Amino acid sequence: MSVSAPPLMVEAIGVRKHFAGVEVLKGVDLKVGRGEVACLIGPSGSGKSTFLRCINHLEKHDAGELLVDGQLVGYELRNAKLYERSDRQICAERARIGMVFQRFNLFQHLTVLENITLGQEKVLKVKDDAARARARELLDRVGLAGRDGYYPAQLSGGQQQRVAIARALAMDPKLMLFDEPTSALDPELVGEVLDVMRDLARSGMTMIVVTHEMGFAREAANTVYFLDAGVIEEWGDPREVLTHPTSPRLQNFLSKVL
Amino acid sequence: MSTDGDGSIKVVPVRHVGRWVGVAAALVVVAMIVHTLLSRLPTGQKTCRGVGASRVCHAVTEWRFSWDIVFRYFTTSEILHGLLVTLELTAIAMAVGIVLGMILAVMRLSPNRVLSGSAWTYTWFFRGTPVLVQLLVWFNIAILYPRISLGIPFTAVAFLTVHTNTVFTPLEAACVALGLNEAAYMSEIARAGLLSVDEGQVEAATSIGMVRRQTLRYVVMPQAMRVIIPPTGNEVISMLKTSSLASVIGVIELLGAATNIYSANYEIMPLLLTASLWYLVVTTVLSIGQFYLERHFGRGALRTPPPTPLQRMRRDLAGIVAKFPNRRGLAGAVER
Repeated sequence: MSVSAPPLMVEAIGVRKHFAGVEVLKGVDLKVGRGEVACLIGPSGSGKSTFLRCINHLEKHDAGELLVDGQLVGYELRNAKLYERSDRQICAERARIGMVFQRFNLFQHLTVLENITLGQEKVLKVKDDAARARARELLDRVGLAGRDGYYPAQLSGGQQQRVAIARALAMDPKLMLFDEPTSALDPELVGEVLDVMRDLARSGMTMIVVTHEMGFAREAANTVYFLDAGVIEEWGDPREVLTHPTSPRLQNFLSKVL
Repeated sequence: MSTDGDGSIKVVPVRHVGRWVGVAAALVVVAMIVHTLLSRLPTGQKTCRGVGASRVCHAVTEWRFSWDIVFRYFTTSEILHGLLVTLELTAIAMAVGIVLGMILAVMRLSPNRVLSGSAWTYTWFFRGTPVLVQLLVWFNIAILYPRISLGIPFTAVAFLTVHTNTVFTPLEAACVALGLNEAAYMSEIARAGLLSVDEGQVEAATSIGMVRRQTLRYVVMPQAMRVIIPPTGNEVISMLKTSSLASVIGVIELLGAATNIYSANYEIMPLLLTASLWYLVVTTVLSIGQFYLERHFGRGALRTPPPTPLQRMRRDLAGIVAKFPNRRGLAGAVER
C-alpha cells in the first residue's frame, strides 16, 4: 500500500442496517474525497438519512465497512478483531463531523451565541472569550451578525438553519453532513441557506448532503448518488446523472421531482 | 343606521345576563364570609357605666374567631420556633426528594433493565404506602435495627457502629421519611420533564460531540426544568403542609407548637387559626418565588415572556391613565 495518497474522507463498503427486521440499507458503497461535495438523492424511505446518521455513528450499522478519514467509525481493528470504541472516543470523533438537521434542532433555551459557544467550551474546552469571538465570526459568515442575543424561537426558519450551520462549523469539522437542510423551510427561505452551503463548498469543505434540491446538486456537487430501497442505484457526475439517467427508477424519480 | 356625532357607527356590546347573576351570587357569598369572620358574640357579661337613671349597660362581646388571641400568639417564640422547624423540615425533605427524584428519573430512563427496574420498584413502594405509615416506620426503625454499622456487606466486618436512637432523632426520622416519600413523586415529575424535551435536542448535542452526561446537564435538564418547575412548586407547597404530620412522632413544628399551647390553655380554634395563617403566609411567599423561577426557566420557550405582576400593574395603571382624556388633570390630582 502506498503512503502517498491521503485516505478518502468517507469510504463505505457494503454498509447494511436494519430496524426491527426491516433492512433499510442493503449494502451501500460510496467514496467521498477531501474537499468534495456529494449529494444523496432518492425517494423518502430509501435510507438516505439513515446512511448519513451511520457516518457519525448516531446509528450503528450492522455490517460492512464505514471509514471516516481512514478510520473505522465506532470500531477499532486490533489483532484481527473489531473492538467497539468507548462512548468518549466515539464522541470525540463525532465532534469533528458537523451535522445539520432537517428541523434545525437549535438549543431552545440558549441564545444564538450560546448555541455556537456551547460545544466549543464544553467539548473542545475553548476559553469563553475565544469561543465568543469565533461564534461572532461564524455568525458574520452566515450573514447573521448582530443576532447574538436572540433566542431560536425569535428567528425565521432560514435564520435558524444558518445558526445551526454556524454551530456545526464552530467545532472546526473536517466533514459536514446535511440531512435535508431545506426541507422544513418556506420556499422563499431556501435560497439563503443554499447560499451559505454553496460558500462552504467553495471554501473546500467536504460535504455530504441529503437533499431534494436538484438545482443545488447540479451546481455544487462533485458526485450525485441516487439511493433507492437501500442501495445506490446510480451515481456519477451530476450533469450526467441528472440529465441522462440510465436506470428507469432514477428516470421515474427525476420526472416526479423536476 | 344610527351613528354617533362624528359619523362612526356605535358598537353595542352583548349583555351577559348569566354572568351578572353569577357575580351577584358570588358577591353575596363573599359578603357572608367577611361578615362571619368579623362577627362578634355576646359573652353573657355586661359592662355598665353611670349610676341610677343614667346607668347604661352594654353586653360585652368578643370576636367569634378570637382574632385577638390568634394574633397574640402569632409571633410568640414557641410558634416562631415551630415555624422554623416546619421550614427546615420542608427544605430538607424537598432537597432529598428533588435530588433523589432526579437520580431515579434518570435511572428509570436508562436502557439498562436493572437500573430502570430498581427505580420503578422504588416509586411503586414509596408511592404505594401512606406517608403517615412511612413516618411511623422510620420513627420506630430502632426496633428493626437497634444498631447501624458501616462495614462490608454480608460480612461481620464493621468499621463504625452506633446506636440507632442516639443518631436518629424524631426530626431526622421525619426528614428521611418525608424526603424518601417525596423522591417517589419527584421522580415521576422529573421523568415527565426529561421526556418532554425533543429527541432532536439530544441528537444535536450528540452531534457536536457531547457525552451523555454533558447532554443531560447542558441541554436536556435546563429545558426539562420548564416542565418540572410548576409541579415541583406544588410539591413544595404540599410538603410544607404534609410536614405537619411530623407532629405525630413528636416533632414540634408549627402545628406541634400550636397543639402544645392549646393543650395547656384550651384555646383550640385560635391556635389552629394562628398555625393556618402562618401556613398561608409561607405558601404565598413560595408561590411568588415559583412565578419568577418559572419565568427564568421559560427563557427561549416563548417569543415574549409573560409580564411580572409589577410590570402588569404598571401597564394597567398606564391604561387607566390613558383612558382619561385630560391627562394633566389626573396627574395633577395624584400630585396633590
